[in-house]
Amino acid sequence: MPTDRLSVIFSALADPTRRAILARLTEGDATVTELAEPFEISLPAISRHLKVLEGAGLIVRSRSAQWRSSSLRAEPLREATAWMDRYRQFWDVSLDRLDAHLQRLQQQAVESDVDPTPTERISP
Amino acid sequence: MTDSIATDELVIERVFDAPRELVYRAFTDPDQLAQWFGPVGFSVPRDSVDISVTVGGYQRFVMVNDDNPEWSSPVDATFTEVIENELLVGTEEFEGVPGLQGQTSMYMRLEFHDEAGGKTRLVIRQGPYTPEMEPMARAGWESSFTKLEPLLTALAG
Repeated sequence: MPTDRLSVIFSALADPTRRAILARLTEGDATVTELAEPFEISLPAISRHLKVLEGAGLIVRSRSAQWRSSSLRAEPLREATAWMDRYRQFWDVSLDRLDAHLQRLQQQAVESDVDPTPTERISP
Repeated sequence: MTDSIATDELVIERVFDAPRELVYRAFTDPDQLAQWFGPVGFSVPRDSVDISVTVGGYQRFVMVNDDNPEWSSPVDATFTEVIENELLVGTEEFEGVPGLQGQTSMYMRLEFHDEAGGKTRLVIRQGPYTPEMEPMARAGWESSFTKLEPLLTALAG
C-alpha cells in the first residue's frame, strides 16, 4: 500500500471509473445512485470507489444517511498538478531552449541571406 | 495511436515560429541537437551525439550536468517510424533498473504539424508511464496523464 500522501492521491486517480466519478463531480454534488448511472457496475462497487476517493481526500461525503451526496475537493488535485508540473518541466525548459535556438538560426539566415532549409538528406 | 491506449502518455504541445523542416532538423542533426537539448544546467556534448535517421536507426547522446559531470544521463533510442519533416517515433529499452522486472520499453513520438503563418506545432507523446516505472521516474503513479490533465486543468485553475 502506498503510504505518502501523493502516492495515495495518484493511486486513487489511476482508476478510470474513479476519474469519471471526479469528472462528474466537477459539475456538482451527486448521490451514489446518480454517480452510478453512467456505469454498468453495482452500487456497492461505486461505494467502494467513493471510499477510495474519500480516503485520498479527493471528495467529501455529506453525513445525511438517506441522501448522502459526494462533493469534490480541489486541494489534493492541486498537489497532484504541482507534482506533474515538475515532471513536465524537463520538456518545458528544453523547448524554451529549442525556441531560442530556432529564432537564432533564422536570424542568422536572414542576416547572411541564406536559405535555412537543409538541402542534403541525412539518410543514405 | 488510439485514445484507448493513450491513458498513460505524457502529451506536450508547443508552437514554434519556424518552418517544419527547421524544427525537425533540430531533433535529427547532431550539431543542432547538441545546442539546445536538455533542461537548464545540463548540456549535451557534441561528441556524444550519434544519430541515424532511418527506421531501425538510432539517436544516441548524453545529457551532462554542468556543475557535476558525474551526473549524466545517456539516451539510446531506436527509430521505429521516420517520415522526413513530419514524424519521428523512437523507443528506448531499459534494462537492469533496480526494481524493474526484466526489460522495459518507452516510446517517444514527435509529430511536426504546419500551423498558419509558417509556424510549426510540435506534439510530443511519451510513455507508457506505468506503476512499474516507479524506480525510473522516481515515482510511478503517474499512470494517467492524458485523461487526467483536462480534469486537473479544470480544477486547479
